Amino acid sequence: MSSQQPQSGNPPQGGRYGTTGFVPPKEAMDYNCADCGATNEIKSREPIRCRECGHRIMYKKRTKRMVQFEAR
Amino acid sequence: MPDAERTRRKPTFNTLAREEAFRNPPKNGSTYNILNEFVLPHLESFNALFDDSGLPSGDGDGRGLISLGLEDIGERVVFDGDGKVDNRGWGNRMRIWIESANIARPMVPDKDKHSTTRKVFPSEARERLTSYRAPRNAQGLRTCSYHEPEEFGGYFVINGNERLIRYLILPRRNHVISLIRPTFANRGPSYTQYAVQIRCVRPDQTAVTNSLHYLSNGSAMLRFSWRKQEYVIPIMLVLKALFGASDKEIFEGVMMQDYENTFLTDRVELLLRSFKMFTLSTGEQCLEYLGDKFRVVLGTPEDWTNHAVGAWLIQKLILVHLNSPRDKYRMLLFMLRKLYSVVSGSCCADNPDSPQHQEVLLPGSLYGMIIKERLEETLNQIRNTITIDVRNGVTVDFNDKKYFQKVLSKVNFDIGSKLSNFLATGNLVSPTGLDLQQAAGFTIVAEKLNWQRYISHFRCIHRGAFFAELKTTTVRKLLPEAWGFLCPVHTPDGSPCGLLNHLSRTCRIVTSPLTVAHIPAILAAHGMSQTTTQSIDGRKNYCVQLDGRVIGWARPAIATQLAMNLRIWKTEGINEIPLDLEIGLVPESKGGQYPGLFLFSTRARMMRPVKYLANGRDDQHNPTNFLSILANLTPFSDFNQSPRNIYQCQMGKQTMGTPSTALQHRTDNKLYRLQTGQTPVVRPALHNTYAMDSFPNGTNAIVAVISYTGYDMEDAMILNKSAHERGFAYGTVYKSQIIDLKDVPGASKSATPTLHFGLGRDIQRNGEKAHSCVEFIDADGLPFIGTKLTSGDPIAAYIDDTTGKTRFVKYKGDEMGLVDQVRLLGSDAGDSELQKLHITLRITRSPVIGDKFSSRHGQKGVCSQKWPAVDMPFSESGMQPDVIINPHAFPSRMTIGMLVESMAGKAGAMHGLAQDATPFKFTEEDTAIEYFGEQLLAAGYNYYGNEPMYSGITGQEFAADIYIGVVYYQRLRHMVLDKFQVRTTGPVDPVTRQPVKGRKRAGGIRFGEMERDALIAHGTSFLLQDRLMNCSDYSTAWVCRTCGSLISLGYEDISLGEVAMGASSSLRPSGPGGEYCRVCRAAAEAQDERERQALAAGKAAPPLPQADVKVAISSQHVLGRASKGGDLDVVAIPYVFRYLCAELASMGIAVSLAVT
Repeated sequence: MSSQQPQSGNPPQGGRYGTTGFVPPKEAMDYNCADCGATNEIKSREPIRCRECGHRIMYKKRTKRMVQFEAR
Repeated sequence: MPDAERTRRKPTFNTLAREEAFRNPPKNGSTYNILNEFVLPHLESFNALFDDSGLPSGDGDGRGLISLGLEDIGERVVFDGDGKVDNRGWGNRMRIWIESANIARPMVPDKDKHSTTRKVFPSEARERLTSYRAPRNAQGLRTCSYHEPEEFGGYFVINGNERLIRYLILPRRNHVISLIRPTFANRGPSYTQYAVQIRCVRPDQTAVTNSLHYLSNGSAMLRFSWRKQEYVIPIMLVLKALFGASDKEIFEGVMMQDYENTFLTDRVELLLRSFKMFTLSTGEQCLEYLGDKFRVVLGTPEDWTNHAVGAWLIQKLILVHLNSPRDKYRMLLFMLRKLYSVVSGSCCADNPDSPQHQEVLLPGSLYGMIIKERLEETLNQIRNTITIDVRNGVTVDFNDKKYFQKVLSKVNFDIGSKLSNFLATGNLVSPTGLDLQQAAGFTIVAEKLNWQRYISHFRCIHRGAFFAELKTTTVRKLLPEAWGFLCPVHTPDGSPCGLLNHLSRTCRIVTSPLTVAHIPAILAAHGMSQTTTQSIDGRKNYCVQLDGRVIGWARPAIATQLAMNLRIWKTEGINEIPLDLEIGLVPESKGGQYPGLFLFSTRARMMRPVKYLANGRDDQHNPTNFLSILANLTPFSDFNQSPRNIYQCQMGKQTMGTPSTALQHRTDNKLYRLQTGQTPVVRPALHNTYAMDSFPNGTNAIVAVISYTGYDMEDAMILNKSAHERGFAYGTVYKSQIIDLKDVPGASKSATPTLHFGLGRDIQRNGEKAHSCVEFIDADGLPFIGTKLTSGDPIAAYIDDTTGKTRFVKYKGDEMGLVDQVRLLGSDAGDSELQKLHITLRITRSPVIGDKFSSRHGQKGVCSQKWPAVDMPFSESGMQPDVIINPHAFPSRMTIGMLVESMAGKAGAMHGLAQDATPFKFTEEDTAIEYFGEQLLAAGYNYYGNEPMYSGITGQEFAADIYIGVVYYQRLRHMVLDKFQVRTTGPVDPVTRQPVKGRKRAGGIRFGEMERDALIAHGTSFLLQDRLMNCSDYSTAWVCRTCGSLISLGYEDISLGEVAMGASSSLRPSGPGGEYCRVCRAAAEAQDERERQALAAGKAAPPLPQADVKVAISSQHVLGRASKGGDLDVVAIPYVFRYLCAELASMGIAVSLAVT
C-alpha cells in the first residue's frame, strides 16, 4: 500500500482529538469489488480501489448479524 | 389451422433454450440480434461521424462527417496590421484551420497504476453516477455494457443516467415543396402567401433552408438565414450572379417554350424588367454587389474582394447541396417554375405534414452538427482574440510561439463539456440555430421502467416542439402516407398525441448514402433528355431530379417507364441500382401535386419493406409490419376496437415488470420490479423475437367475468385473497439514495476532505449505553445490509474532523424500506477515500386495495377487494378465479381480443401450448372462436369457454354459465401507496394559515369554487362552514364595535392601573383584559382639539373619517360580547380575512365590520 495521508501525516485537527493525540482505530471492513467480485479489506480513509483489478466501485457485504423481522 | 406457417411454428415456451441462453450467454454478440437491429439508425449515424467506409465516390472522403465538416469550415484569416493605409496596411496574413478531429476512448487516468484494464466500461459510469466520456476532448459514443446480455447501446451515460437523442422529423432534404401560408404576406409590402422552400443539406449533414417568396408584382425573393438572421435578395440577382446568365437565357429557362402561357410570360417579363433598376448587367457586377452588401455580416477575410465575398455567399448559403453554379441555376429555375405554377393554381401546395415531404434528423447527424459548430466557434474565437489584440495595440507577432500560447489559453477548447451539457439538458446552444425549429428538448432519458418502455424510447420519433404549441390539429393527423413508417397505434393520448410517434416495426432509416453517380447516364440512355439539351418543352416534359439536382427532362410516358425500369432494376439488382433508392414519380394531375420524377439516395430517409407488384419481388412482407414493436405485442389486436390497442401501448409502458436482468448493477432513481413475472400463455410470434421472455411483464391470471360481489363496478376488480397470499402480482420498488459528502454542509472545498464516513469516538458502540444508531449503522458508518428503515432513521454516519463529532444522514422516505445494497463509489483514478455512497433501498409493494391492474387490451381496473378464497365462486372442477372483473367492461369497449385471449389462454394452459396470438391470422372462414373452441372441447370444457359455477357463499349454482379463462394481467406502476393523500390537521401556510397543498408536504386537497357551489346548491350550510372555516383557517379576532376595525387592537397594561389621560375623562374604557381600540381612542383624544379648531373656524366639527368597506358579521360569529364597559367584541373570522384587511389597510382602505 502506498502511504496514506491520515495515519501520521494528518495532525489532529484540534478539539478533543488533539488533546488525546489519538486517531480513532482503523477498523478494516470487507467489501466486494463490483467488477471482479474479490473481497477487499479497506480501512476507513483508504482509497476505494480493488486490490485485484483496480476497479473503483465496492459493494458492502451482507451483515453477519441476525436480521429478523416480524412477518405479518 | 390451415396456415402453413402456423403449423411450422412449435407451440413451445422455449423454457430450456432460454435457460441455456441465460446460463451461458454468447461470448460475442447477443442472443437476440434483432435488438441490435432496431437501434441501428442510432448507432450507424454516430459511426458515420468518423467512419464512412463504403462511401461511394463523390460522397465524402471516407473519413466521416466530421472531416467533411472541417473541410466546410475552411480557414480563418487574421492579419497583424489594422488595415489603415497610413500604417503598413493589413500586414502579415495568417491562415488558421483545423486539420483533424479525433475521438478518444474513456480510459482510466494515467495516475492509476493498479487497474488491470485501462478501458472504462459504460456500466462503471452508470454505477458511479458519472458520465461516460473520455478525459479531455471528446465523448464516448457507443456504449456496451457487459452486465446486460441484451445490451444494444445507442445511448449516452450522463451522470449515471442513460440519455439518448430522439429522432426528430424534418422537412425532406433537397426537395422543393410549395407552401401557401397567409403569414407570408406579413413579411413585408407586396409579399404574398405563396412560396416554395427547399431544405438543402451539405455533405456533412448541416442544412440551410432557402425559400422563394412570390411578390405581388410578379417577381420573387430568395430568403435564407445566416446566424439566426434572415436575409432576402431578389432572385434575379442570384440567377445572374451564378454564371452571368443573360436575360434571354433566364427568360427561356423559365418559359421552357410555353410562350402561349401569358400568365408566365407576364410574370417573367416583370421579373426581368424589375431588375433593371439595379443596373447590374453582368454576373461579375452582381457578385460584387452581393459581396459589398454582405461583407459586414459574413466575416470573410478582410483582404477578399467583393467579388470573392459574393461568390462565397452563393457557395455557402444558396442551394448548398449543389456544388456547380449551373446546377444551382437550374434548380432555382425549377423552383421559380414551381412557384409560378402554385400561384397560377395549376398545382397545389404540398402538405409539409405528410411523410412524403419528411425525413428524420438522425442523432449522429445532430451530434456532428454540434461538433462542427463548436469547432468553428473555436476557430472564430482564435481569430477574434487576435483581432482584438491588434485593435488594442497589443504587440502581435505571428512568429512568436509564446504569443500563440497566450491566445490559445484564452480560447475554450473543451467541446466535450459543451456536448455533455447538450446531452444532459437537451438544450441546443448555438449561434446559428443549425437550421432547426427548436432549441430544446432534443434528448430524453431512456427510463428502464420495464423492457417495453425502454425499447420504445429507441423507436420514438417526434414531430418537433414547435408543433406541440400549434392550436391546429392537422399536424397530428394520421396520414395514409405514414403507413409502414409510423405506427398508427403506438402514440400517447393527450397533449403529445400524434406528435410523438413510434417507428413501425420494419421501418428502417437509411444511414449511409448510396452509389448513384451512374444513374443519370443510365436514365439518359433510356430516353431522358439531358439538361444540356436546348429547347425542352416545359409543358410536355417532367423534370427528373436526383437528390435535388436537375439531371434531365422526360416526357410523361418516358418518365413512367423510367420509374418502372428503376424499380425493376433495384429490386432485381440490375444496373447497380441500390435497393434503397427512393423513386418518386408524380404524374400530372390538374391542380394536384407538381409533376416530376424525383429520386432520392441520401441518408435519413425512412424505408419500409414493400412488394413491387410488377415483378412480385418483396422483402419480408407481413401484415403486422405496419405496427410498432409494442403494438405488435398486443395479442389478437385485430379483434379489438382500435383505441383500446392505443391504451394498451400506453399501459404496457407503465407496467411493473422486469426492467433489467442486472438489477444489482442498476443505480436508477426508482425501479419497479414484478417478483413473479411469467411468460404469457397467449402471445404473438414477435414476443419471442423481441426477447420479451427475458423481461416478463405480468402474470397469467384465471379471470372470471361475473358480477358477483358488487365491489367490481366501474372497472374495479376483485383479487382472490389466496392468490394474493401466494404472491400474485407481488412487486418491489427500488429507490436510490445518494450521499455525497462533498455536498453536505460543512464540507471543505479543498482537496483533502474533512468529512469521513465512520462512527467517531463520541458514539458508544456497545454495552448498556450503546448509541441507538448502532442498530442501523456498521462501524464504517454505512448501514447494515438488510436493515429495516423507517422515516427518520439514520442511514449513514460521518465524522467531521473539525469538530470531531459524528453526524448522521437520515432516511427521509415515508415508507418502510430495507437496505438492499450499499455501493462505495471511488474517484475516477481510484486514489481517493470514500466520499460518495449509493444506497439502494428495497420497498416491498404487495398488491393492496387501490392498486391498478390491466389486461393487455386496454382494460385497466383498480383492485377493490381482496376477496377470501372461501367466498370466491368455483367451477365444477373446483377452480377459483384469481381475478374477477365485471361483464360491463366489455359491451361498450368491444375488446373482443380479451375474450379470445381468455379462451386461448384456457386451452393453452390445459394443453401446454404457447398460443400464437399474432393479429391477422384468422379469417371469417377460419375463426379464432372455432379454433380455440375445438381446443377447449378437447380439454373437456365448453366450446365457448364458459362454465357452470357455484357461489362461494351459498354453494348454489349460478343461473348463468360464467366466462372464465386465462388472461395475462399486468400490474401497473400507479399504486395507492404513492398516491393516497389524507389529512386531518397538519402544516398550514404561514401567511393565510390555510392548509398547504401537496401530497409531499402532508397538505390537503383543495375544496375549490365548484365544490363550494355544489354545497351552496345543496343548502348544506353546516358542511360548508365546516370545510371552509372550521377545518381551514378558523381564527378569532377582536373587533371594535364602534369603528368596526379589525386591526386596531391595543392592550393596556392594567396592572399599572387606570390610564390617566389629561383632563378628558370621556375616554372609552378598555375591556377586562385591557384591550381597547386604538383608532377610537386616538379619535377621542383628538376630540377636544378638533372641537377647538372647529370653534375657531366657526364651523361645525367635521365628521370623523368613515371606513370605505363595510362588512356585516352575523351574531353567530360574535363569540364574546364586550363585557364590563369594553368596546371590543371577539368574533370568529377566517384568518385570510384578517390578512386581507391588513393588505387593504396598507393601501389606505379601511374595512369596517358591522357587528350586530
